[in-house]
Amino acid sequence: MKRRTFCTLATAGSASLALGARPARAATTVSLWHIFGYSTEPGLINITRFNQTRTDVQIDGKSVPFGQLSQQLVKAVATGDVPDLITIDNPTVASFAGQGVLEEVGAKVAASKGLARSRFFPGSWATTIFQGKQFAVPGEVNTLMFYVNQDMLRAGGVDPAKPPQTWAELTAVAAKVADSAKGKYGIGVSAIQTEEGTFQWLPFLQQSGAGLKTLTSPDAVAALQLWVDWVQKGYASHDILVKRQSEMTDAWLAGNSAMSLSGPWELPRILRDVKFNWTVIPMPVRADKNIHATALGGYVWAIPKGAKNVDAAFQVIEYMLAPEQAARSFAGGRLPAVQDVQPPADLPRAEVYAGFESQLQYARPRGPSPEWPRISEALQRAIQEAITGQQPAQQALATAAATIAPLLQRYPIEGM
Amino acid sequence: MSRPGSAGDGVRRALAPLRPWLLTAGGVVIAAVYLFPVYWMVISSLKANPELFAATPTLYPHAPTLAAFRWIFARENVGLYLQNSAIISFSVTALTLVLATGAAYALARIRTFWTAAMVVAIMAVQVLPPPLLVTPMFVIFRQIGLVNTQFAVILATTTKVLPFAIIMLRTSFAQIPVELEEAARVDGCPRFVAFFHITLPLARTGYIVVSSLVFLLAYGEFVYPLSLMNHKDLQPGPVGLYSFIGADFADWPDALAFATVFVAPVIVLYMFLQRRIVSGLTAGALK
Amino acid sequence: MSRDRFLDSPTIWVLLIGAAALFLLLLVGYPIAYNLVMSVQEVTLGNLPSFSRPWVGLQNYRQLLADPLFLLVAKNTLIFTVANVAVQFVLGLGLALYFQLSFPASSFLRGLVLVGWMLPPLVIGAVWKWLLGSDSGFVNYALQGLGLISGKIYWLADPLLSLVAVTIANIWFGVPFNMILLAAGLAGIPTDIYEAAALDGAGPVRRFIWITLPLLRPTIYALLSLTTVYTMRAFDLIYTMTHGGPLDSSNIFPVWSYRMSFELFDFGGGAAIATAMFALVLVVALAYVRSVNAERPM
Repeated sequence: MKRRTFCTLATAGSASLALGARPARAATTVSLWHIFGYSTEPGLINITRFNQTRTDVQIDGKSVPFGQLSQQLVKAVATGDVPDLITIDNPTVASFAGQGVLEEVGAKVAASKGLARSRFFPGSWATTIFQGKQFAVPGEVNTLMFYVNQDMLRAGGVDPAKPPQTWAELTAVAAKVADSAKGKYGIGVSAIQTEEGTFQWLPFLQQSGAGLKTLTSPDAVAALQLWVDWVQKGYASHDILVKRQSEMTDAWLAGNSAMSLSGPWELPRILRDVKFNWTVIPMPVRADKNIHATALGGYVWAIPKGAKNVDAAFQVIEYMLAPEQAARSFAGGRLPAVQDVQPPADLPRAEVYAGFESQLQYARPRGPSPEWPRISEALQRAIQEAITGQQPAQQALATAAATIAPLLQRYPIEGM
Repeated sequence: MSRPGSAGDGVRRALAPLRPWLLTAGGVVIAAVYLFPVYWMVISSLKANPELFAATPTLYPHAPTLAAFRWIFARENVGLYLQNSAIISFSVTALTLVLATGAAYALARIRTFWTAAMVVAIMAVQVLPPPLLVTPMFVIFRQIGLVNTQFAVILATTTKVLPFAIIMLRTSFAQIPVELEEAARVDGCPRFVAFFHITLPLARTGYIVVSSLVFLLAYGEFVYPLSLMNHKDLQPGPVGLYSFIGADFADWPDALAFATVFVAPVIVLYMFLQRRIVSGLTAGALK
Repeated sequence: MSRDRFLDSPTIWVLLIGAAALFLLLLVGYPIAYNLVMSVQEVTLGNLPSFSRPWVGLQNYRQLLADPLFLLVAKNTLIFTVANVAVQFVLGLGLALYFQLSFPASSFLRGLVLVGWMLPPLVIGAVWKWLLGSDSGFVNYALQGLGLISGKIYWLADPLLSLVAVTIANIWFGVPFNMILLAAGLAGIPTDIYEAAALDGAGPVRRFIWITLPLLRPTIYALLSLTTVYTMRAFDLIYTMTHGGPLDSSNIFPVWSYRMSFELFDFGGGAAIATAMFALVLVVALAYVRSVNAERPM
């Protein structure tokens, strides 16, 4: 049933998409490279609508798989054959902007009626600023919460009405429901050696009271040790070292993991496929610190330097963030980066979306720093060294700190 | 090492008529074991999501569903992807065979320092994977105005398979005794005619194998089409496959259903051509 | 008959080789030179579009050698390549010989094995990642069911095993390629030689060693070199299965080069790795040509 609603929406989009695929010649054509696939359907619909309503400007969209985005953009920059508009992952803005690859859009945004700063989530806005200048406009945002399989909690003797609120409680619940010999785990996080691993662990570091500058502190060690213990005690699978967040959600959907950390992008398929009672809970805090922190993900709109139709591209950004288009994000399991948009009334499990929205106040950007990829890589190594037992958490973090400190010196990051 | 008349020999003689069938049974087992991951792909496309990742894997879909197949046909112009794939791979195969035949033959027949150096170069240029080659290639294609065309993809993909084709065909030609051609030439037959009438037919096993492999290599290419073409309706199947691998998650039953549909025509094609391919691959084709 | 004279003249040889050589020189030679140039420059996203970038000489190479990952990745690449080439060859030869025996459906079954080679690497990687998953993977499930292991094997998550895991998957992927080319080589051996040898009283093992292997030698040389080159550029499968992790335990040169270029935006470093790979393969190619030239001319 659920699938059908999703389908109807989707088919409408693709039918008209075929018509809009090749824009007419007369108009200005904005070439747009985007990451919209079936998981982020609304983006495709917005493109189609734009092409239907506008005659002077048309969008020529190209879907680039997320994993290939960086490579394709590098190719575009190297050859000078850039699209007019792109969607990029928010922590990469500084890398691209710092190298002069992106058009500065600050003046345009300031002059725009629709893109008032007050409309946006502050954390999301911050990801678009590098050294005081604005290089992008937030598109959609996401953050992390634990998806909880309430049936599994109940079976483990935990009252689902009283979900864990602290690290200690989280671990205790995981201990009750996990049975690693049977492939059942309490906790699902991703510690993979990619940006996703950093994305998931960083909030724990921040909740611990530590930061990138204090990676060798006992607080930071505690944040890492928490994950190490989960794996070593069998509360989390060893496979978290090689699984993406979506793969952890696969395990959760199959009933193999009770509490899985992931974002709202999973909602459409969870609503379609889930076979048990479930809810989402905010990330627990560290009891003695009580610091709420979670991750801030999502893509931003950016105009590459050398784009031929900067003005038209900017009009597309404005269109995409107008309330009607922005509101469409929800149906794709996305949250618009603007705060003044209400989800559609017929949205299933609206309270879950509301939960994610409420967590955005605690969501912290990664960076911005042009050196973010290296910082992130050092963190990934530390996480993996500690979990595999190759290094004690303390030492693994010390190694990471040695790599990260000079990078922070070169490009200080506020609040990290 | 049983002596004549021993018990073992008797058993063997009794089993002799069964031997081919025992071997067939062995062959079936080998193929079955080998193809297990392919089987897994197909049954996974028939499973719904929770069953796909069940703690205890199911050996066959307990609740088979064609939902994934219906979904991909409703959502994507699967036929167009297959058509584009076919156009690209057949063109690559043809272009590769044309370019490779001359070079392979010449490199097999002439042995100088320079031809040896050519073989070294041809072997070595294969090493860099497409992601590292595509940016400078794009520059070239833009210079000659081929960006956004399937022709550019065909040329780019040909660079990936041509060295392989030259090396293998060269080996085939080298195995054909040059005396056969020379004998024909003594009879007044020009080299050109001798090549087409004597050498080429003798190298047919090599051609069958090389062209099949070239076709399959071209059929699966992903990086070149994605990087060199912007329009969706020009793209081949492997790019279409990525529509189901989203930014944040992969819809695996859909992706696997697509992959199944993607390889099915090739398997069907193989079934049709099988007789021909087999006759080329029969032991002792070269007499 | 001027056409025939032209076709018999040395010019034709130059043209025949020239067409393919020019094609490759233009479309692959230029990218390789482009990489080489980048490897001695300081390349950033900012100066990527122009060729006038700061010259750094061998700095990128020095950095590469000083990188703590270098030895690990080199070791991984070596193990991965040797294991793949050896096992793919042995299994490929075994299968080729088996399916060469005359029994019903032998050719059909041999062709069927090629199906594994048709699947997109993305799909192969995904399927193997599930099969080798430690919790709900079929391989562990089967091994447990057979009583061969009691606990779980962390195929992908254990840094000591992840290279084994991606090697298994890549061997699986490469065996059909080896098998079919060896089958073609076997088909090229005239049967009358075997018949003569059988009359002389040579058993199957001796016939294999004294007839099959020597006659197969050109194919074997070509195949071993090609498999080496293809294994050294293997990318998609590892990228899909482990991304080179955990802790770079399954990282090999092409994956490292890709990650350096497109994840860390260190293009000079990525290009230096690519150039080093090129140099390595040049050695393989030289070895190939030497062994081919050592054959007696036919």
